[in-house]
Amino acid sequence: MNVHVHPTQEFRFMRPDDGIEQGDPLLVVDNISLSFGGVKAITDISFDILKGEIRAIIGPNGAGKTSMLNVINGFYHPQKGTITFRGQKRSRMRPHEAANHGIARTFQNIALFHGMSVLDNIMTGRITLMKRNMLWQALWRGPAETEEIENREIVERIIDFLEIEHIRKTPVGRLPYGLQKRVELGRSLAAEPSLLLLDEPMAGMNLEEKEDMSRYILDVNQQFGTTIALIEHDMGVVMDLSDRVVVLDYGQKIGDGTPDAVRNNQDVIDAYLGVSHD
Amino acid sequence: MSPAFLNFIEIFINGLMAGIMYSLVALGFVLIFKASGIFNFAQGVMALFAALTLVGLQTGQVPFSHLINAIFDTDIHNWGPGLPTVLAILLTMVVMIALAWVLEKFVLNHLINQEPIILFMATIGLAYFLEGFGDLMWGSDVKTLDVGLPSGGSFWWEDVTRAWAPEDADYWGMYIDKLDISATIIAVVLVTALSLFSQYTATGRALRAVADDHQAALSVGISLRKIWVIVWSIAGFVALVAGIMWGAKSGVQFSLSLIALKALPVLILGGFTSIPGAIVGGLIIGVGEKLAEAYIGPMVGGAIENWFAYVVALAFLLFRPQGLFGDRIIERI
Repeated sequence: MNVHVHPTQEFRFMRPDDGIEQGDPLLVVDNISLSFGGVKAITDISFDILKGEIRAIIGPNGAGKTSMLNVINGFYHPQKGTITFRGQKRSRMRPHEAANHGIARTFQNIALFHGMSVLDNIMTGRITLMKRNMLWQALWRGPAETEEIENREIVERIIDFLEIEHIRKTPVGRLPYGLQKRVELGRSLAAEPSLLLLDEPMAGMNLEEKEDMSRYILDVNQQFGTTIALIEHDMGVVMDLSDRVVVLDYGQKIGDGTPDAVRNNQDVIDAYLGVSHD
Repeated sequence: MSPAFLNFIEIFINGLMAGIMYSLVALGFVLIFKASGIFNFAQGVMALFAALTLVGLQTGQVPFSHLINAIFDTDIHNWGPGLPTVLAILLTMVVMIALAWVLEKFVLNHLINQEPIILFMATIGLAYFLEGFGDLMWGSDVKTLDVGLPSGGSFWWEDVTRAWAPEDADYWGMYIDKLDISATIIAVVLVTALSLFSQYTATGRALRAVADDHQAALSVGISLRKIWVIVWSIAGFVALVAGIMWGAKSGVQFSLSLIALKALPVLILGGFTSIPGAIVGGLIIGVGEKLAEAYIGPMVGGAIENWFAYVVALAFLLFRPQGLFGDRIIERI
């Protein structure tokens, strides 16, 4: 049990980012199109996410926001276009590979492991970082034991950070919605992601919970330097949190820029007010 | 204690031990069902195949010897005196892992996102394939399997229990097969080891995660394909243990694969998704069968053992379709 943790040691999640400088593009989405049969979900969308920023993706229901996140982390494979992540161009990637490359995410409808405790759920976030083979694990000796303890240490600190110590051992399925969202954030943080994708992190929350969540998101971004892309419907939250906003409507990009610029964009105003498209 | 009561205890204990054997098979089903939602019809045949391979390696049989002899007109059967038991078991395990890998690569991987019924059909195909393949590889004759476990009745227990009955009673003591006792101990160790592994290791956590939610598991970086190879390997290991126990008890032969059918009522009783359920279900079926045979059997002409389990399962389907420990089936409307 040779784990030394100094209380003063600064806790940083961030992984080394293969030479991407602060403010340079971390992820570039180029001309992506995605359709399901005859239904076009996304048409020719391009935008970038700069390292260190909070990038919001907004748009009315069915605009293709979640599809976009699914493309980025490999759940969907676009018919056209490329994605460049950390300087590496790719068109197809499996979700577990995306996770291995440092993309973590949360889901609109919360995809936690409901039968497992909060602690175990967050520990699964570290699976990509735990490399000891199964035989060692089965013996529960030597390297695997050390590794488990080290990772547990980090997870405990994430639990501290999110202030969920009191529910560490509770099965996630029994928790209220707001806390589940927080646990899901914890699990994605545990992967020490370069890019964190948050799909409606505040959906269904009351004002107080929203404020808490906003604070965590800002803290993650500022203290750990994690780049964040988030989908959110609450415009107040989006305008406060994000550095830049991309606006989608009917699968197409209709706006891109700072919150203020987007707010005054006529197309965006039309899309949200429901002006007819002709 | 009266001999009648002692008889009851004897039947009860033997039922428990028979139940352990059912549990062993049911356990393999539950593992795969939990992790991938597949009802693996081939679990019983996997046990048969594992036992055949073990015997073949132990006795030094040349695989496919019948085929080779038929084609090349040769007459080879054995390559040597065979391997020591421990080595043979290890090698059989390697074969079962290879089988899991081949299965994932050539069958399951092509059926991702298919309906459960299609995967179920695939496992039926697998069962028939593996049965024929096992025959072709090792021959279809009944083989005896001896892994050095003690067998035969326990005289000590007979003496002990004889003393419990009145001196003048017509009673000979209880019969318990030592092999059943070994099987019980091995099953307990196996289940304990499996649950420790799944509770306290990173891979175990990944297994539980996949069993809980596929999409979420993918998003945290778990490779489903890798997990499936692991799960099928573990199921192969459980099949090997079941194959050894059943093979040692009643010989390695085709009927071994039919015990899988007995696992079905066990699973309906215990719930398809619960490991404790598989164990308790097996015990209940085992005890129920033996007691019914002994006490109801004579009234209806015997052979109750063959169908009793299914009737119990039917009753359960009527009143508690999710089984004793299974997840409640709640449909969202």
